[in-house]
Amino acid sequence: MVFAKPLAELIAQLERLPGVGPKSAQRLAFHILRMRDDDVRRLAIALTHAKESLRLCQQCQSVTEAEVCEICSDPRRNPVQICVVAEPRDIAAVERLNEFKGTYHVLHGLLNPLENVGPEQLKIRELLTRLRDTVEEVIIATNPTVEGDTTALYLARLIKPLGVTVTRLAHGMPVGGELDYADTATLLSALEYRREL
Amino acid sequence: MTEREPIRVSEMTLHDFRNYESETIHPAPGVNLICGENAQGKTNCLEAISLLSTGRLLRGSKDSLAIRHGATQARVSATLNPMGSALAVQLALGSRKKVLVNSVSLPRASDVIGRLPTICFSSQDLGIATGEPSERRHFLDTELAQIYPAYLRHLTIYRRALEQRNALLKQAQEGSFYPEAFEAWEDQMVEHGTEIRRIRQDWITWLNPVAQSAHQRLAPGEGFLLTYEPREQDLALALSSRREDLARGTTTCGPHRDELLIEVGGKAVRTFGSQGQQRTSVISLKLAVLESAREVFGFPPVLLLDDVFSDLDQNRRSALVSAALNEGGQVFLTCTEPGQVGGELLRSSTIFLVQSGRMGHHEATL
Ligand SMILES: Nc1ncnc2c1ncn2[C@@H]1O[C@H](COP(=O)(O)OP(=O)(O)OP(=O)(O)O)[C@@H](O)[C@H]1O
Ligand SMILES: [Mg+2]
Ligand SMILES: [Zn+2]
Repeated sequence: MVFAKPLAELIAQLERLPGVGPKSAQRLAFHILRMRDDDVRRLAIALTHAKESLRLCQQCQSVTEAEVCEICSDPRRNPVQICVVAEPRDIAAVERLNEFKGTYHVLHGLLNPLENVGPEQLKIRELLTRLRDTVEEVIIATNPTVEGDTTALYLARLIKPLGVTVTRLAHGMPVGGELDYADTATLLSALEYRREL
Repeated sequence: MTEREPIRVSEMTLHDFRNYESETIHPAPGVNLICGENAQGKTNCLEAISLLSTGRLLRGSKDSLAIRHGATQARVSATLNPMGSALAVQLALGSRKKVLVNSVSLPRASDVIGRLPTICFSSQDLGIATGEPSERRHFLDTELAQIYPAYLRHLTIYRRALEQRNALLKQAQEGSFYPEAFEAWEDQMVEHGTEIRRIRQDWITWLNPVAQSAHQRLAPGEGFLLTYEPREQDLALALSSRREDLARGTTTCGPHRDELLIEVGGKAVRTFGSQGQQRTSVISLKLAVLESAREVFGFPPVLLLDDVFSDLDQNRRSALVSAALNEGGQVFLTCTEPGQVGGELLRSSTIFLVQSGRMGHHEATL
Protein backbone atom coordinates (compact mmCIF):
# COMPACT_ATOMS: atom_id res chain seq x y z
CA MET A 1 0.00 0.00 0.00
CA VAL A 2 1.22 3.53 -0.79
CA PHE A 3 0.63 6.05 2.01
CA ALA A 4 0.22 9.78 1.57
CA LYS A 5 3.58 11.45 2.00
CA PRO A 6 3.06 13.00 5.49
CA LEU A 7 1.76 9.67 6.79
CA ALA A 8 4.67 7.75 5.29
CA GLU A 9 7.03 10.23 6.95
CA LEU A 10 5.34 9.79 10.35
CA ILE A 11 5.57 5.98 10.05
CA ALA A 12 9.22 6.21 9.05
CA GLN A 13 10.04 8.39 12.09
CA LEU A 14 8.17 6.13 14.51
CA GLU A 15 9.91 3.07 13.10
CA ARG A 16 13.27 4.51 14.11
CA LEU A 17 12.32 4.19 17.79
CA PRO A 18 13.70 1.16 19.66
CA GLY A 19 11.27 -1.76 19.89
CA VAL A 20 8.97 -0.35 17.20
CA GLY A 21 8.74 -2.50 14.08
CA PRO A 22 7.01 -1.60 10.80
CA LYS A 23 3.69 -3.00 12.01
CA SER A 24 3.55 -1.14 15.31
CA ALA A 25 4.78 2.02 13.58
CA GLN A 26 1.76 1.87 11.26
CA ARG A 27 -0.56 1.12 14.16
CA LEU A 28 0.79 4.10 16.16
CA ALA A 29 0.61 6.41 13.14
CA PHE A 30 -3.04 5.59 12.44
CA HIS A 31 -3.81 5.97 16.12
CA ILE A 32 -2.25 9.43 16.10
CA LEU A 33 -4.36 10.37 13.05
CA ARG A 34 -7.50 9.40 14.92
CA MET A 35 -6.51 11.38 18.06
CA ARG A 36 -8.10 14.76 18.81
CA ASP A 37 -6.18 17.73 17.44
CA ASP A 38 -5.25 19.20 20.82
CA ASP A 39 -4.12 15.81 22.12
CA VAL A 40 -1.77 15.49 19.17
CA ARG A 41 -0.52 19.00 19.80
CA ARG A 42 0.11 18.17 23.46
CA LEU A 43 2.08 15.10 22.44
CA ALA A 44 4.18 17.09 19.99
CA ILE A 45 4.88 19.76 22.59
CA ALA A 46 5.78 17.17 25.21
CA LEU A 47 8.27 15.63 22.80
CA THR A 48 10.08 18.84 21.92
CA HIS A 49 9.80 20.28 25.43
CA ALA A 50 11.33 17.18 27.00
CA LYS A 51 14.13 17.19 24.49
CA GLU A 52 14.83 20.91 24.87
CA SER A 53 14.60 21.23 28.63
CA LEU A 54 16.30 18.01 29.66
CA ARG A 55 20.02 17.44 29.75
CA LEU A 56 22.53 15.19 31.44
CA CYS A 57 23.48 15.98 35.02
CA GLN A 58 27.00 17.39 35.07
CA GLN A 59 27.98 14.95 37.77
CA CYS A 60 26.12 11.67 37.46
CA GLN A 61 25.08 11.93 33.77
CA SER A 62 21.50 11.06 34.62
CA VAL A 63 18.69 12.90 32.84
CA THR A 64 17.76 16.14 34.61
CA GLU A 65 16.24 19.57 34.15
CA ALA A 66 18.84 21.49 36.15
CA GLU A 67 22.60 21.55 35.66
CA VAL A 68 22.98 19.14 38.54
CA CYS A 69 20.25 16.61 39.33
CA GLU A 70 18.21 16.42 42.53
CA ILE A 71 20.16 13.52 43.96
CA CYS A 72 23.59 15.00 43.28
CA SER A 73 22.58 18.36 44.79
CA ASP A 74 20.96 16.82 47.88
CA PRO A 75 23.29 17.55 50.87
CA ARG A 76 22.02 14.43 52.68
CA ARG A 77 23.46 12.15 50.01
CA ASN A 78 26.88 10.78 50.70
CA PRO A 79 29.23 11.51 47.79
CA VAL A 80 31.90 9.00 48.87
CA GLN A 81 29.78 6.12 47.59
CA ILE A 82 28.96 5.94 43.87
CA CYS A 83 26.59 3.36 42.45
CA VAL A 84 27.29 2.82 38.73
CA VAL A 85 24.33 1.84 36.55
CA ALA A 86 23.86 1.32 32.82
CA GLU A 87 20.69 3.39 32.25
CA PRO A 88 18.90 6.28 34.03
CA ARG A 89 15.90 4.01 34.72
CA ASP A 90 18.14 1.75 36.85
CA ILE A 91 18.47 4.61 39.36
CA ALA A 92 14.73 4.49 40.00
CA ALA A 93 14.97 0.77 40.82
CA VAL A 94 17.61 1.32 43.50
CA GLU A 95 15.91 4.50 44.79
CA ARG A 96 12.66 2.63 45.44
CA LEU A 97 14.49 0.70 48.16
CA ASN A 98 15.09 3.85 50.25
CA GLU A 99 18.27 2.17 51.42
CA PHE A 100 21.11 3.58 49.39
CA LYS A 101 22.28 7.00 50.58
CA GLY A 102 25.17 7.52 48.18
CA THR A 103 25.12 8.97 44.66
CA TYR A 104 24.88 7.45 41.19
CA HIS A 105 26.68 7.41 37.89
CA VAL A 106 24.98 6.50 34.62
CA LEU A 107 27.10 4.90 31.89
CA HIS A 108 24.42 5.13 29.19
CA GLY A 109 25.04 1.62 27.95
CA LEU A 110 27.35 -1.34 28.36
CA LEU A 111 30.49 -2.34 26.49
CA ASN A 112 29.32 -4.15 23.36
CA PRO A 113 31.71 -4.16 20.38
CA LEU A 114 29.15 -6.07 18.28
CA GLU A 115 26.94 -2.97 18.54
CA ASN A 116 29.90 -0.64 18.16
CA VAL A 117 29.86 0.42 21.78
CA GLY A 118 33.34 0.85 23.23
CA PRO A 119 34.61 2.72 26.32
CA GLU A 120 34.55 6.04 24.48
CA GLN A 121 30.79 5.73 23.86
CA LEU A 122 30.11 5.37 27.59
CA LYS A 123 30.32 8.02 30.33
CA ILE A 124 33.47 6.48 31.76
CA ARG A 125 35.77 9.49 31.46
CA GLU A 126 33.19 11.48 33.45
CA LEU A 127 33.23 8.80 36.17
CA LEU A 128 37.02 8.92 36.42
CA THR A 129 36.88 12.69 36.76
CA ARG A 130 34.53 12.30 39.74
CA LEU A 131 36.99 9.92 41.37
CA ARG A 132 39.51 12.76 41.75
CA ASP A 133 37.42 13.88 44.75
CA THR A 134 37.29 11.66 47.79
CA VAL A 135 35.38 8.54 46.81
CA GLU A 136 35.65 5.44 48.96
CA GLU A 137 33.54 2.91 47.16
CA VAL A 138 32.26 2.35 43.65
CA ILE A 139 29.37 -0.11 43.57
CA ILE A 140 28.87 -1.56 40.10
CA ALA A 141 25.21 -2.39 39.51
CA THR A 142 25.22 -3.46 35.86
CA ASN A 143 23.01 -6.37 34.78
CA PRO A 144 24.41 -9.88 35.25
CA THR A 145 24.83 -10.46 31.49
CA VAL A 146 28.14 -11.13 29.73
CA GLU A 147 28.21 -7.45 28.67
CA GLY A 148 27.28 -6.23 32.16
CA ASP A 149 29.93 -8.41 33.78
CA THR A 150 32.61 -7.41 31.29
CA THR A 151 31.83 -3.72 31.73
CA ALA A 152 32.17 -4.25 35.50
CA LEU A 153 35.55 -5.95 34.96
CA TYR A 154 36.68 -3.12 32.72
CA LEU A 155 35.76 -0.50 35.32
CA ALA A 156 37.38 -2.47 38.14
CA ARG A 157 40.62 -2.63 36.14
CA LEU A 158 40.56 1.17 35.77
CA ILE A 159 39.40 2.14 39.24
CA LYS A 160 41.16 -0.25 41.62
CA PRO A 161 44.64 1.21 40.95
CA LEU A 162 43.28 4.56 42.16
CA GLY A 163 42.85 3.10 45.64
CA VAL A 164 39.05 3.07 45.50
CA THR A 165 37.15 -0.01 46.67
CA VAL A 166 35.17 -1.57 43.81
CA THR A 167 32.21 -3.82 44.61
CA ARG A 168 29.62 -5.55 42.46
CA LEU A 169 26.00 -6.41 43.24
CA ALA A 170 25.72 -10.07 44.25
CA HIS A 171 23.72 -12.34 42.01
CA GLY A 172 21.94 -15.35 43.33
CA MET A 173 18.62 -17.01 43.97
CA PRO A 174 15.54 -14.80 43.75
CA VAL A 175 14.00 -14.54 47.22
CA GLY A 176 10.89 -16.67 47.40
CA GLY A 177 11.90 -18.52 44.24
CA GLU A 178 11.77 -22.28 44.10
CA LEU A 179 15.04 -24.12 43.76
CA ASP A 180 13.58 -26.71 41.43
CA TYR A 181 12.47 -24.18 38.82
CA ALA A 182 15.45 -21.81 39.01
CA ASP A 183 17.53 -21.30 35.92
CA THR A 184 20.83 -23.15 35.92
CA ALA A 185 23.01 -20.04 35.57
CA THR A 186 21.41 -18.37 38.59
CA LEU A 187 21.71 -21.52 40.67
CA LEU A 188 25.37 -21.92 39.70
CA SER A 189 26.28 -18.37 40.65
CA ALA A 190 24.27 -18.60 43.87
CA LEU A 191 26.33 -21.68 44.71
CA GLU A 192 29.58 -20.00 43.74
CA TYR A 193 28.86 -16.91 45.88
CA ARG A 194 27.33 -18.77 48.82
CA ARG A 195 28.11 -17.43 52.28
CA GLU A 196 28.69 -18.81 55.72
CA LEU A 197 25.85 -18.71 58.22
CA MET B 1 28.07 -45.17 44.25
CA THR B 2 24.58 -46.51 44.91
CA GLU B 3 22.56 -46.85 41.74
CA ARG B 4 19.35 -44.90 41.59
CA GLU B 5 16.40 -46.11 39.57
CA PRO B 6 16.94 -44.85 36.02
CA ILE B 7 14.81 -41.97 34.78
CA ARG B 8 12.76 -43.07 31.79
CA VAL B 9 10.06 -41.89 29.43
CA SER B 10 6.88 -43.77 30.25
CA GLU B 11 4.57 -41.79 27.99
CA MET B 12 5.27 -39.37 25.17
CA THR B 13 2.89 -37.31 23.05
CA LEU B 14 3.87 -35.58 19.81
CA HIS B 15 1.69 -32.77 18.50
CA ASP B 16 2.46 -31.34 15.06
CA PHE B 17 6.10 -32.22 15.58
CA ARG B 18 7.94 -32.96 12.29
CA ASN B 19 5.76 -35.45 10.37
CA TYR B 20 3.70 -36.42 13.44
CA GLU B 21 0.24 -34.91 13.72
CA SER B 22 -0.92 -36.35 17.00
CA GLU B 23 0.60 -39.46 18.44
CA THR B 24 1.02 -40.94 21.91
CA ILE B 25 3.29 -43.83 22.79
CA HIS B 26 3.96 -45.76 25.99
CA PRO B 27 7.57 -46.91 25.78
CA ALA B 28 8.79 -49.84 27.86
CA PRO B 29 11.41 -49.34 30.60
CA GLY B 30 13.84 -51.52 28.64
CA VAL B 31 14.60 -51.69 24.93
CA ASN B 32 12.21 -50.03 22.48
CA LEU B 33 12.68 -50.88 18.85
CA ILE B 34 11.41 -48.27 16.40
CA CYS B 35 11.06 -49.97 13.03
CA GLY B 36 9.98 -48.58 9.70
CA GLU B 37 10.91 -47.83 6.13
CA ASN B 38 12.97 -44.78 5.23
CA ALA B 39 11.48 -41.32 5.79
CA GLN B 40 8.62 -42.55 8.01
CA GLY B 41 9.57 -40.71 11.22
CA LYS B 42 12.00 -42.91 13.17
CA THR B 43 14.68 -40.25 13.60
CA ASN B 44 11.99 -37.66 14.33
CA CYS B 45 10.81 -39.77 17.25
CA LEU B 46 14.30 -39.92 18.75
CA GLU B 47 14.69 -36.21 18.10
CA ALA B 48 11.59 -35.54 20.19
CA ILE B 49 13.15 -37.37 23.14
CA SER B 50 16.41 -35.54 22.62
CA LEU B 51 14.52 -32.24 22.56
CA LEU B 52 12.96 -33.02 25.94
CA SER B 53 16.40 -33.91 27.24
CA THR B 54 18.45 -30.95 25.99
CA GLY B 55 15.90 -28.30 24.97
CA ARG B 56 17.40 -28.42 21.49
CA LEU B 57 16.80 -30.19 18.21
CA LEU B 58 19.32 -32.58 16.73
CA ARG B 59 22.19 -31.24 14.64
CA GLY B 60 21.43 -27.61 15.43
CA SER B 61 18.22 -27.58 13.38
CA LYS B 62 16.15 -24.41 13.68
CA ASP B 63 13.13 -24.68 15.98
CA SER B 64 10.64 -23.51 13.38
CA LEU B 65 11.67 -26.32 11.00
CA ALA B 66 10.39 -28.94 13.43
CA ILE B 67 6.82 -27.59 13.38
CA ARG B 68 4.76 -29.80 11.08
CA HIS B 69 4.28 -28.19 7.66
CA GLY B 70 1.01 -26.25 7.73
CA ALA B 71 0.83 -26.07 11.54
CA THR B 72 1.80 -23.01 13.62
CA GLN B 73 3.01 -24.74 16.74
CA ALA B 74 4.41 -28.04 17.89
CA ARG B 75 4.35 -29.65 21.28
CA VAL B 76 6.28 -32.60 22.64
CA SER B 77 5.35 -33.77 26.11
CA ALA B 78 6.28 -36.71 28.27
CA THR B 79 5.74 -38.29 31.64
CA LEU B 80 8.97 -39.28 33.33
CA ASN B 81 9.13 -42.12 35.79
CA PRO B 82 9.86 -43.04 38.58
CA MET B 83 9.03 -39.48 39.74
CA GLY B 84 5.95 -39.10 37.55
CA SER B 85 6.96 -35.59 36.54
CA ALA B 86 5.74 -33.94 33.36
CA LEU B 87 8.08 -32.40 30.82
CA ALA B 88 6.98 -30.45 27.73
CA VAL B 89 8.54 -28.40 24.96
CA GLN B 90 6.47 -26.01 22.85
CA LEU B 91 7.67 -24.58 19.57
CA ALA B 92 5.63 -21.82 17.95
CA LEU B 93 6.17 -19.77 14.81
CA GLY B 94 7.26 -16.26 15.71
CA SER B 95 7.72 -16.76 19.43
CA ARG B 96 10.26 -18.21 21.80
CA LYS B 97 10.53 -21.89 22.57
CA LYS B 98 9.00 -22.83 25.91
CA VAL B 99 10.06 -25.64 28.21
CA LEU B 100 7.71 -26.62 31.00
CA VAL B 101 8.31 -28.82 34.02
CA ASN B 102 5.08 -29.81 35.75
CA SER B 103 3.44 -26.94 33.82
CA VAL B 104 5.91 -24.37 35.18
CA SER B 105 7.82 -22.60 32.44
CA LEU B 106 11.63 -22.64 32.85
CA PRO B 107 13.55 -19.36 32.37
CA ARG B 108 15.68 -20.84 29.56
CA ALA B 109 15.28 -23.90 27.37
CA SER B 110 18.72 -25.15 28.38
CA ASP B 111 17.62 -25.20 32.02
CA VAL B 112 15.90 -28.49 31.26
CA ILE B 113 19.26 -30.23 30.99
CA GLY B 114 19.74 -32.89 33.63
CA ARG B 115 16.07 -33.79 34.07
CA LEU B 116 16.11 -36.53 31.44
CA PRO B 117 19.71 -37.53 30.73
CA THR B 118 20.17 -39.09 27.30
CA ILE B 119 23.10 -40.27 25.22
CA CYS B 120 22.57 -40.08 21.49
CA PHE B 121 24.36 -42.25 18.99
CA SER B 122 23.79 -42.18 15.24
CA SER B 123 25.63 -43.15 12.10
CA GLN B 124 26.56 -39.46 11.74
CA ASP B 125 28.79 -39.79 14.79
CA LEU B 126 31.38 -41.37 12.52
CA GLY B 127 32.34 -37.77 11.83
CA ILE B 128 33.93 -37.66 15.30
CA ALA B 129 36.67 -39.91 13.91
CA THR B 130 36.77 -38.71 10.32
CA GLY B 131 35.77 -35.06 10.43
CA GLU B 132 37.41 -31.72 11.09
CA PRO B 133 38.60 -30.83 14.62
CA SER B 134 35.42 -28.78 15.01
CA GLU B 135 33.38 -32.01 14.99
CA ARG B 136 35.38 -33.37 17.89
CA ARG B 137 34.98 -30.12 19.80
CA HIS B 138 31.27 -30.27 19.08
CA PHE B 139 31.26 -33.79 20.51
CA LEU B 140 33.03 -32.61 23.68
CA ASP B 141 30.72 -29.62 24.06
CA THR B 142 27.41 -31.44 23.61
CA GLU B 143 28.31 -34.35 25.89
CA LEU B 144 29.86 -32.18 28.61
CA ALA B 145 26.98 -29.70 28.56
CA GLN B 146 24.65 -32.59 29.33
CA ILE B 147 26.79 -33.96 32.13
CA TYR B 148 27.98 -30.70 33.77
CA PRO B 149 25.62 -27.68 33.63
CA ALA B 150 28.54 -25.46 34.75
CA TYR B 151 30.34 -26.38 31.53
CA LEU B 152 27.52 -24.96 29.42
CA ARG B 153 27.67 -21.72 31.36
CA HIS B 154 31.42 -21.36 30.83
CA LEU B 155 30.93 -22.16 27.16
CA THR B 156 28.14 -19.62 26.69
CA ILE B 157 30.11 -16.81 28.32
CA TYR B 158 33.32 -17.76 26.51
CA ARG B 159 31.60 -17.79 23.11
CA ARG B 160 29.99 -14.42 23.68
CA ALA B 161 33.27 -12.84 24.82
CA LEU B 162 34.99 -14.42 21.79
CA GLU B 163 32.38 -12.91 19.47
CA GLN B 164 32.92 -9.50 21.07
CA ARG B 165 36.71 -9.77 20.80
CA ASN B 166 36.38 -10.74 17.14
CA ALA B 167 34.23 -7.64 16.60
CA LEU B 168 37.02 -5.55 18.14
CA LEU B 169 39.56 -7.19 15.81
CA LYS B 170 37.39 -6.33 12.80
CA GLN B 171 37.09 -2.73 14.00
CA ALA B 172 40.86 -2.59 14.44
CA GLN B 173 41.29 -3.70 10.82
CA GLU B 174 39.03 -0.83 9.81
CA GLY B 175 41.35 1.53 11.63
CA SER B 176 39.97 2.01 15.14
CA PHE B 177 42.22 0.15 17.55
CA TYR B 178 41.89 0.72 21.29
CA PRO B 179 44.09 -1.78 23.13
CA GLU B 180 42.39 -1.11 26.47
CA ALA B 181 39.04 -2.13 25.00
CA PHE B 182 40.37 -5.68 24.55
CA GLU B 183 41.47 -6.46 28.05
CA ALA B 184 38.16 -6.99 29.83
CA TRP B 185 36.91 -9.33 27.07
CA GLU B 186 40.17 -11.23 27.20
CA ASP B 187 39.85 -11.52 31.00
CA GLN B 188 36.49 -13.21 30.45
CA MET B 189 37.92 -15.52 27.80
CA VAL B 190 40.83 -16.49 30.04
CA GLU B 191 38.63 -17.14 33.06
CA HIS B 192 36.04 -19.23 31.25
CA GLY B 193 38.36 -20.68 28.59
CA THR B 194 40.63 -22.05 31.32
CA GLU B 195 37.66 -23.72 32.98
CA ILE B 196 36.50 -25.18 29.65
CA ARG B 197 39.95 -26.66 29.08
CA ARG B 198 40.22 -28.00 32.60
CA ILE B 199 36.84 -29.74 32.40
CA ARG B 200 37.59 -31.19 28.95
CA GLN B 201 41.06 -32.32 30.04
CA ASP B 202 39.83 -33.97 33.24
CA TRP B 203 37.05 -35.70 31.36
CA ILE B 204 39.38 -37.08 28.69
CA THR B 205 41.73 -38.34 31.41
CA TRP B 206 38.78 -40.13 33.00
CA LEU B 207 37.45 -41.39 29.67
CA ASN B 208 40.75 -42.80 28.38
CA PRO B 209 41.03 -46.06 30.35
CA VAL B 210 37.29 -46.73 30.01
CA ALA B 211 37.41 -46.24 26.23
CA GLN B 212 40.58 -48.33 26.08
CA SER B 213 38.97 -51.32 27.71
CA ALA B 214 35.89 -50.99 25.48
CA HIS B 215 38.23 -50.89 22.52
CA GLN B 216 40.06 -54.00 23.75
CA ARG B 217 36.80 -55.92 23.64
CA LEU B 218 36.05 -54.78 20.08
CA ALA B 219 39.54 -54.99 18.62
CA PRO B 220 41.82 -57.03 20.90
CA GLY B 221 45.48 -56.04 20.82
CA GLU B 222 44.97 -52.72 19.07
CA GLY B 223 46.16 -49.76 21.14
CA PHE B 224 43.70 -46.89 21.67
CA LEU B 225 44.54 -43.45 23.00
CA LEU B 226 42.71 -40.15 23.50
CA THR B 227 44.79 -37.00 23.93
CA TYR B 228 43.40 -33.53 24.53
CA GLU B 229 45.60 -31.05 22.70
CA PRO B 230 45.28 -27.41 23.70
CA ARG B 231 46.24 -25.03 20.94
CA GLU B 232 48.63 -23.18 23.26
CA GLN B 233 49.83 -23.50 26.85
CA ASP B 234 49.17 -20.01 28.15
CA LEU B 235 45.87 -18.55 26.96
CA ALA B 236 46.33 -15.20 28.73
CA LEU B 237 49.69 -14.72 27.04
CA ALA B 238 48.46 -15.82 23.63
CA LEU B 239 45.45 -13.48 23.77
CA SER B 240 47.45 -10.50 24.95
CA SER B 241 49.99 -10.69 22.12
CA ARG B 242 47.22 -10.08 19.51
CA ARG B 243 49.53 -9.59 16.54
CA GLU B 244 48.43 -12.58 14.46
CA ASP B 245 44.81 -12.05 15.46
CA LEU B 246 44.90 -8.42 14.35
CA ALA B 247 46.33 -9.46 11.00
CA ARG B 248 43.66 -12.11 10.48
CA GLY B 249 40.75 -10.27 12.02
CA THR B 250 39.81 -13.28 14.15
CA THR B 251 40.92 -15.04 17.34
CA THR B 252 43.38 -17.81 16.54
CA CYS B 253 43.98 -19.15 20.06
CA GLY B 254 41.77 -20.59 22.78
CA PRO B 255 39.70 -23.72 23.47
CA HIS B 256 37.62 -23.09 20.32
CA ARG B 257 40.74 -24.09 18.39
CA ASP B 258 41.78 -27.13 20.48
CA GLU B 259 41.89 -30.69 19.18
CA LEU B 260 40.98 -34.09 20.58
CA LEU B 261 43.44 -36.56 19.08
CA ILE B 262 42.19 -40.11 18.65
CA GLU B 263 44.90 -42.69 18.00
CA VAL B 264 44.58 -46.34 17.11
CA GLY B 265 47.72 -48.47 16.99
CA GLY B 266 49.80 -45.36 17.63
CA LYS B 267 48.47 -43.44 14.60
CA ALA B 268 45.86 -40.71 14.22
CA VAL B 269 42.69 -42.56 13.27
CA ARG B 270 41.41 -39.61 11.26
CA THR B 271 44.26 -39.72 8.73
CA PHE B 272 45.58 -43.26 8.97
CA GLY B 273 42.69 -45.34 10.26
CA SER B 274 40.79 -47.82 8.09
CA GLN B 275 37.03 -47.33 7.92
CA GLY B 276 36.63 -50.20 10.34
CA GLN B 277 39.10 -48.69 12.79
CA GLN B 278 37.32 -45.36 12.57
CA ARG B 279 33.97 -46.97 13.39
CA THR B 280 35.44 -48.98 16.25
CA SER B 281 37.06 -45.93 17.77
CA VAL B 282 33.80 -43.97 17.75
CA ILE B 283 31.94 -46.85 19.38
CA SER B 284 34.61 -47.21 22.07
CA LEU B 285 34.45 -43.49 22.73
CA LYS B 286 30.66 -43.46 22.95
CA LEU B 287 30.58 -46.47 25.26
CA ALA B 288 32.98 -44.60 27.53
CA VAL B 289 30.71 -41.53 27.45
CA LEU B 290 27.83 -43.74 28.50
CA GLU B 291 29.90 -45.00 31.44
CA SER B 292 30.78 -41.46 32.41
CA ALA B 293 27.17 -40.27 32.35
CA ARG B 294 26.17 -43.26 34.42
CA GLU B 295 28.85 -42.45 36.97
CA VAL B 296 27.80 -38.80 37.25
CA PHE B 297 24.04 -39.35 37.38
CA GLY B 298 24.15 -42.52 39.42
CA PHE B 299 21.94 -44.35 36.90
CA PRO B 300 22.19 -45.16 33.18
CA PRO B 301 20.97 -42.38 30.85
CA VAL B 302 18.35 -43.08 28.19
CA LEU B 303 20.15 -44.39 25.12
CA LEU B 304 19.09 -43.12 21.71
CA LEU B 305 20.58 -45.28 18.99
CA ASP B 306 19.65 -44.06 15.52
CA ASP B 307 20.34 -46.27 12.57
CA VAL B 308 23.53 -47.68 14.06
CA PHE B 309 23.20 -51.11 12.53
CA SER B 310 23.18 -50.39 8.84
CA ASP B 311 26.92 -50.07 8.51
CA LEU B 312 28.29 -52.18 11.34
CA ASP B 313 29.62 -55.71 11.08
CA GLN B 314 28.39 -58.52 13.33
CA ASN B 315 31.17 -58.11 15.89
CA ARG B 316 30.66 -54.40 16.55
CA ARG B 317 26.91 -54.80 16.37
CA SER B 318 26.81 -57.33 19.17
CA ALA B 319 29.25 -55.28 21.26
CA LEU B 320 26.88 -52.33 21.04
CA VAL B 321 23.83 -54.45 21.68
CA SER B 322 25.25 -56.12 24.75
CA ALA B 323 26.44 -52.77 26.09
CA ALA B 324 22.93 -51.39 25.58
CA LEU B 325 21.36 -54.37 27.32
CA ASN B 326 23.85 -54.49 30.18
CA GLU B 327 23.19 -50.86 31.01
CA GLY B 328 19.76 -51.82 32.25
CA GLY B 329 18.36 -48.41 31.37
CA GLN B 330 15.84 -47.40 28.76
CA VAL B 331 16.90 -47.73 25.12
CA PHE B 332 15.36 -46.41 21.91
CA LEU B 333 16.76 -48.03 18.83
CA THR B 334 15.74 -47.42 15.24
CA CYS B 335 16.11 -49.82 12.35
CA THR B 336 14.60 -50.46 8.94
CA GLU B 337 14.74 -54.24 9.29
CA PRO B 338 14.01 -55.98 12.61
CA GLY B 339 16.16 -58.77 11.18
CA GLN B 340 19.26 -56.58 11.60
CA VAL B 341 18.83 -56.59 15.33
CA GLY B 342 19.39 -60.23 16.18
CA GLY B 343 17.38 -62.70 18.24
CA GLU B 344 18.53 -61.90 21.76
CA LEU B 345 17.70 -58.22 21.58
CA LEU B 346 14.54 -58.75 19.55
CA ARG B 347 13.09 -61.04 22.22
CA SER B 348 13.57 -58.48 24.98
CA SER B 349 12.33 -55.51 22.95
CA THR B 350 9.07 -53.66 22.70
CA ILE B 351 8.47 -52.94 19.03
CA PHE B 352 6.92 -49.85 17.47
CA LEU B 353 6.18 -49.82 13.76
CA VAL B 354 6.40 -46.35 12.23
CA GLN B 355 4.57 -45.43 9.06
CA SER B 356 4.10 -41.86 7.81
CA GLY B 357 4.06 -40.32 11.24
CA ARG B 358 1.92 -42.96 12.92
CA MET B 359 3.32 -45.36 15.47
CA GLY B 360 1.72 -48.72 15.99
CA HIS B 361 2.58 -50.69 19.08
CA HIS B 362 3.52 -54.21 18.15
CA GLU B 363 3.82 -57.21 20.42
CA ALA B 364 7.12 -58.99 19.88
CA THR B 365 5.86 -61.89 17.89
CA LEU B 366 8.55 -61.77 15.23
N1 LIG C 1 8.44 -29.91 9.84
C1 LIG C 1 8.09 -31.02 9.16
N2 LIG C 1 6.80 -31.19 8.75
C2 LIG C 1 6.44 -32.30 8.08
N3 LIG C 1 7.28 -33.31 7.78
C3 LIG C 1 8.55 -33.20 8.16
C4 LIG C 1 9.03 -32.06 8.87
N4 LIG C 1 10.35 -32.22 9.13
C5 LIG C 1 10.68 -33.40 8.60
N5 LIG C 1 9.63 -34.00 8.02
C6 LIG C 1 9.56 -35.28 7.31
O1 LIG C 1 9.67 -36.35 8.19
C7 LIG C 1 9.97 -37.49 7.40
C8 LIG C 1 10.59 -38.58 8.25
O2 LIG C 1 11.84 -38.19 8.71
P1 LIG C 1 12.79 -39.15 9.60
O3 LIG C 1 14.15 -38.55 9.50
O4 LIG C 1 12.24 -39.33 10.96
O5 LIG C 1 12.74 -40.51 8.81
P2 LIG C 1 13.36 -41.92 9.22
O6 LIG C 1 12.24 -42.82 9.51
O7 LIG C 1 14.37 -41.74 10.27
O8 LIG C 1 14.04 -42.35 7.85
P3 LIG C 1 15.48 -43.00 7.54
O9 LIG C 1 15.31 -44.48 7.67
O10 LIG C 1 15.71 -42.61 6.12
O11 LIG C 1 16.48 -42.43 8.46
C9 LIG C 1 10.80 -36.96 6.24
O12 LIG C 1 10.21 -37.37 5.04
C10 LIG C 1 10.71 -35.46 6.35
O13 LIG C 1 10.41 -34.83 5.13
MG1 LIG D 1 16.48 -41.69 10.25
ZN1 LIG E 1 23.35 13.84 39.16
